[in-house]
Amino acid sequence: MTQQAKHKEGEHLLEISKTATICVAVLSETEPDAFPLYWLLVDKDSLTEGKIPQKMVKDLSDVLADSLCQEVLVGQPGDRSSWLKRFADGEYKYFAERQFLPGVTDNLAHTVQEALKLKGFANQVRVASGRGFLFKESAGDAKAIADALIYKDYHPLTDRFNVHETDSGSADGLLKFPHVVLPETPKVDEVDLELDDAKLEKLSKERLLALNLDEMKAIRQYYRLDKTKADRKDRGLSLKPTDVELEILAQTWSEHCKHKIFNAKITHTDNSKPRDLRTETYNSLYKTFIKAATKKLSQWRKDLLSVFEDNAGVVKWDNETAVCFKVETHNSPSALEPYGGALTGILGVNRDILGTGLGAKPLFNTDVFCFAYPSNSLPQRPKLLPAKAILDGVRKGVEDGGNKSGIPTVNGAIVFDSGYRAKPLVFCGTGGLLPLTVKVGNETRDAVKKHTRAGDLIVMAGGRVGKDGIHGATFSSESLNEGSPMSAVQIGDPFTQKRLLDFVIDARDAGLITGITDNGAGGLSSSVGEMASITGGATIHIDRIPTKYPGLADWEVVVSESQERMTISTDNFEALEKLAEKHNVEVTNIGEFNDKGYFEVLNNGTTVALLDLEFLHDGCPVLTLEAQWSPAQITMKTGKQPEHLGRVLLQLLKHPNICSRESVIRQYDHEVKGQSVIKPLMGPSQKAPCDAAVLLPRLTPDLDRSPALAVSNGLCPRLSEHDTYLMAQCAVDEAVRNAVCVGADPDTLSLLDNFCWPDPVFSDSNPQGKRYLAELVRCCQGLYEAVLAFGAPLISGKDSMKNNFDDGNLKLAIPPTLLVSCMGRVPEARFARSMEFKKAGDLIYILSAGVLGLAASHYEEFNGWQSIMLPELDLDRAPTMYRRLHIAIKSGWIRSAHDVSEGGLAVAVAESIIGSKLGASLDIGEYHQYLSDLYKERGTQAFRSWDFVTRADSLLFGEGPGHIVVSIDKANQAEFERHFEGLTVIKIGEVVNEQMLTIIDGELPGSEKELITLSSQALKTAWETPLPFD
Amino acid sequence: MKPTALVLTGDGINCGEETSFALQLSGFDATLTHTSDLLNNPKLLKSAKLLALPGGFSFGDEIASGKVLAIKLEAALKDSLKEFVSEGKLLIGICNGFQCLVQMGLLPESEKDDTRLASLARNGGRKFINRWVQLSVDANVPCPWLEGLTDFDLPIRHGEGRLSPAKDSQEAVKKQAPLRYSIDINGSFDRISGLTNAKGNVFGLMPHPEAFVRWTQHPSWTRLSALPDKSPPGLRIFQNAHAMVAN
Repeated sequence: MTQQAKHKEGEHLLEISKTATICVAVLSETEPDAFPLYWLLVDKDSLTEGKIPQKMVKDLSDVLADSLCQEVLVGQPGDRSSWLKRFADGEYKYFAERQFLPGVTDNLAHTVQEALKLKGFANQVRVASGRGFLFKESAGDAKAIADALIYKDYHPLTDRFNVHETDSGSADGLLKFPHVVLPETPKVDEVDLELDDAKLEKLSKERLLALNLDEMKAIRQYYRLDKTKADRKDRGLSLKPTDVELEILAQTWSEHCKHKIFNAKITHTDNSKPRDLRTETYNSLYKTFIKAATKKLSQWRKDLLSVFEDNAGVVKWDNETAVCFKVETHNSPSALEPYGGALTGILGVNRDILGTGLGAKPLFNTDVFCFAYPSNSLPQRPKLLPAKAILDGVRKGVEDGGNKSGIPTVNGAIVFDSGYRAKPLVFCGTGGLLPLTVKVGNETRDAVKKHTRAGDLIVMAGGRVGKDGIHGATFSSESLNEGSPMSAVQIGDPFTQKRLLDFVIDARDAGLITGITDNGAGGLSSSVGEMASITGGATIHIDRIPTKYPGLADWEVVVSESQERMTISTDNFEALEKLAEKHNVEVTNIGEFNDKGYFEVLNNGTTVALLDLEFLHDGCPVLTLEAQWSPAQITMKTGKQPEHLGRVLLQLLKHPNICSRESVIRQYDHEVKGQSVIKPLMGPSQKAPCDAAVLLPRLTPDLDRSPALAVSNGLCPRLSEHDTYLMAQCAVDEAVRNAVCVGADPDTLSLLDNFCWPDPVFSDSNPQGKRYLAELVRCCQGLYEAVLAFGAPLISGKDSMKNNFDDGNLKLAIPPTLLVSCMGRVPEARFARSMEFKKAGDLIYILSAGVLGLAASHYEEFNGWQSIMLPELDLDRAPTMYRRLHIAIKSGWIRSAHDVSEGGLAVAVAESIIGSKLGASLDIGEYHQYLSDLYKERGTQAFRSWDFVTRADSLLFGEGPGHIVVSIDKANQAEFERHFEGLTVIKIGEVVNEQMLTIIDGELPGSEKELITLSSQALKTAWETPLPFD
Repeated sequence: MKPTALVLTGDGINCGEETSFALQLSGFDATLTHTSDLLNNPKLLKSAKLLALPGGFSFGDEIASGKVLAIKLEAALKDSLKEFVSEGKLLIGICNGFQCLVQMGLLPESEKDDTRLASLARNGGRKFINRWVQLSVDANVPCPWLEGLTDFDLPIRHGEGRLSPAKDSQEAVKKQAPLRYSIDINGSFDRISGLTNAKGNVFGLMPHPEAFVRWTQHPSWTRLSALPDKSPPGLRIFQNAHAMVAN
């Protein structure tokens, strides 16, 4: 079949002259001024004498409306003048219409098409969906309406939005069916690389290849080789590269796919060191710090089955299964179109799990967002979406991505910092479950590995190929004509993917999959290109690949990032196809894996790309980069302790980084699959914000006594301003500490690293590049040490290196951010702990390994202060302390455990109260005494004033790593204290029935003792300050 | 021999596995059955004692929750399903499955065949809600599925759970409502969270019983000093179903 013959069903309808359009509006009493609109394209012949037959009207009404509470308007385009009259009679002055731009994924329309078919509707119907809005005169004019609804009800990158006056009487200006119209299919281009340097660079830029001069030259050199020339002559291929080849190389060698910065040769100069010790050279940060740490730990961790190789890290769970975990970022797409960006981010990382081993099944999602808090002080630029639009879109994308896929969103974080105005960070993580083996006839296959063999067919499964995601964000929307399918933006289709997911798991268990990977960045060029290296070659046929519409160039088909697609290798296509039919999933045999040494692309038998696999994967030159580090210069600015610490505590509880996330959490299904043990919100009022999630990966009998999986995360970007080395260590500690607090065994933890950085490649337009790179080096150093200290290996990771904004007038950069995600084993589900206080009379302790600090704290921000009183992490003691805490949890002594994080000790205790319907009475005198002694012992006065570091406000609101608040049953006091001998464990109070928080400092004289007295209700009210989400 | 239960899956149904697990814990031989397999072979219903339509997002919840799945089942299974129900076999719809039963007009039951009496509309707050709610059983409406239960907790996870009867059907609907939310959570008519037919063999509810089959699923289980020995209420519902068919 030719490409033209394999585009979406109803193709003859593309001949517009043979079609008729039917318009539908579905009105309801409950929401009279906002309602669904549909445009249907049907065969002209299905009309009766040019009129819509009654049967058709009835079927449409049955499918599109609820007869109990909705009314349907059905008509041909011209009939809509009567709609306008009706709206005008209802005193509405304006009718606004929203419709997807041509080619944008329209999930509702796809479902309607399927539903109409089930109703016996003619096969050739095409549907577009949209929404109508009605406004009274008071809404202002058309522009005022468009301004009020932008980003909330429509997005110019994905939607058409028109406003009409209802009294115009004519339907002529109303929206028509959004046809995709493309010019004739372009031919394959040949590109001349025998150019001077300037022209090579220009070529890379113009074709959006994002390759530097060295890389362009390396490609040119490949085409000069005699062997290359001979191979090409043999295939009848021009000696010059084709555009298909250049695009494949550009994708394969992209920063996104190749992690060139992490593999670069880096000369790092540390200006704080003596001159002769300043400079060090690293050949690949990835190998030096990340892989090396895991390698050291792997001798103790025999459960690491696959690290850094596959689409996710894989760790053995029990004798039959393994768990895997992957976290991705989707920052740039979310900055452009937040809903689609977040949705495709989640669906994308779900596919990473599906593409791990022979196909793992997603178990849970975790989502971490870094946003700028919407406020007037943020910079506003035409190319920067309003901050509120970004966070609402992302939130909704996560809701649809998780909920509709049936994957619980179990854990996450929302961090606000104005630095994220440059770009929002959207981290999407997914964990999965993989069987260790799959039975194929008499053979038992290791399901953690790929088994693709030469001769296996290459199968594309799931969605079709369109212009989506070609060259992603660099594509400029202005240059599009009316009928161009939108290629910069992708929406994502959770329903299609859910079907794909069910199919893949069935196919895996039936032994029909020999290898699998997802189509993400780089599309087929990456997925087939990567799998080709297993067998040593692959050939694909463009003409067999199904497309959404005709008119794509060959190179577009190969690199398109259209969603919901997996690439599968199989030795039994017939059975696979049959199974796919049952699941309503489209599968296509697009070629074959071989051992010929090439990635070859043909179109109707003619070779359009032929690339030596070794060159494709190893031919990219190593980057050489320079890093320069000098310690941060912070000007100290502090003040007196505020008089009312209680008021400060309430203000901190209201802070967007601290206050309740309940409004967001409630909209995410966090329990589907029935596997949760510790949910995001626990306790008698379901308000207690838990430190980490705990869930049961398998549904087996006696689940309360089965091992469970803890999932946590840590990130401390506020510390980056001071030192990324400390930032990395604190992020690791936070992830580890959170997991331990809910009951995870610290000797079973596996970590993931996700770096989001401002561009660390120095250039004239990026003068800060060397500093950013040095911060990356220090971050890796800190990460390496912490990972080894905790004995928690890194199993997978990802980096995103261009998190800047630069429109020529304004340059913005995010704070360097490392997200550490963590999973670990809770020996039995019933050992898991939630963080709220449980019972009056229980004793409250603080566990300490290091010191808390005011630098970068929320308290400091609240006061407008700035200090260098950095927190410290004691990497010798923290791991021991966490191990002993774990034993204490298993012994049943611990009633609650909560990490001290944003807002410090006072906030940690307040949160433990809010979720409990109890109160607490604290005396921090002993803790005060301990810190005074500690600083005296050190003898060094790191800070000018002793008072300052041991002042009550520092004790209560200092933030940092290594601290946990626990409550225990009084009956276990002696055993508990003995158990922690040699470590810092200080009693600070008692849980009380009275719903009050009182904090005194027994070390202070007279009335100075009284620090805070607040009702639990006051704490709760402050903490429930709403976040700015819709 | 264990009674057979079919648990529908595919087409965006998400909760098949945990529903099947709950049925198994209750003594059923539960099989996940893809919609395509059931549509191609309606005879599968013959050997089954129970059919479960689990929760999820069938067809992405597009148009209206449960609507397209209802169209699909009606097109191929209408008669088989009617026969199944009239034989007194058990049919349970949970969340999206309940929405589907309401779309098909199987609940609330109408005296006139094929007349729908109510819809499950978008929540009053216009948002998806995942939280645990307290439920109370109305002893005046006989429902063997709820035997032995009075007040208990289950989670809800839906965006369209507001039961909205047609004006002249309100009283008829009340008579079929054995289960209510203890507080108004989504604007549902008369706080109704579940419906049953007169015979009591068809049961539909928005809350998720399959999500409370072990005590460590409850949001405040960590307060318990020891986990209770008796079955959690969600599991009880499936055990009641087992008791109905085992007798």
